[in-house]
Amino acid sequence: MGILTIQIRSGTMMNMDSNVALKLAKAAIEKGHKVKIFCYGEGVTLIKAGQNPKRFPNVGDILEELASSGVEIVVCETCGYARGIQRGEEIKGTKIGSITNDFSQFVSESDRLVTISR
Amino acid sequence: MADKMIVIIRKPPYGTEEAFAGARLALGGLVSGAIDKADVLLIGDGTFNAIESQVPAAIEMPSNEEALENLMDMEGSVFCVIEDLDLRASGAKILDGIKLINRADVRDIMDQYQVVNTF
Repeated sequence: MGILTIQIRSGTMMNMDSNVALKLAKAAIEKGHKVKIFCYGEGVTLIKAGQNPKRFPNVGDILEELASSGVEIVVCETCGYARGIQRGEEIKGTKIGSITNDFSQFVSESDRLVTISR
Repeated sequence: MADKMIVIIRKPPYGTEEAFAGARLALGGLVSGAIDKADVLLIGDGTFNAIESQVPAAIEMPSNEEALENLMDMEGSVFCVIEDLDLRASGAKILDGIKLINRADVRDIMDQYQVVNTF
C-alpha cells in the first residue's frame, strides 16, 4: 500500500474539483492507501469552518470526516492569509501550514502526487 | 518516496496566479531540504515567464521574473521549450540562466523526476 498526496487548488464552490478530490481521497483510503491533502491557492478555502451550502455537498463536512479518520490535511498559510482565513477558523483536525514545511514533506514521503485544479 | 519534483508551468506570468504559485512551490521545495531537486519547465504560454525585463509593478503584481531568479539562485533549473517561446515571442531576450530545450527533449527531462506538478 502506498502514500498518495492530493494537492487541491480549486475552491469549495463553483465547480466540482474539491468534491472529486475528496472522493478520490476516500477511494484511496478504502483501497488501503494512506492519503495526505495539501490545499494551495483557492484550495485553502476548503479549510474554513462553518461552510453551509444549501444545495451542494458540504465540502467542509467531508474534510472534517477525513481529518477525524487520520488524513493529514494542511493548507498554505500565505494563501490563507491572503484570503482572510486566520488561524482558529480552520476545520477541526486540519492545519494551516506551509509549502516549505508541509507540502515538501508530503511530496518526499509520497509514492504519488495528484493535483486537482483547472 | 520522492525527492525530485518538476513543476510544469503552462500559464503566462500575469492574469492568473498560477505561474507565480508554481515557481514559489518549486522554491519552497528546495528551501525545505525535503526535496533534493525541484525544477521548473516552461511550456506553451508558460514560456512568456522566461522573458526578461517584466514590469509587474505596472499592474501591482509580484514579479514572476524574480520568482524564477530566486529559484535559480537556489540551484533550481528552469527549462524553457524553445519552439513554444519562438511561436510567441521570437527574438525576445530571456532571463540569464534559463535552459532552452527542444520539445523533443521534454520527455527525457520529465523522466528524471518522480513527481510532476502542473500549473
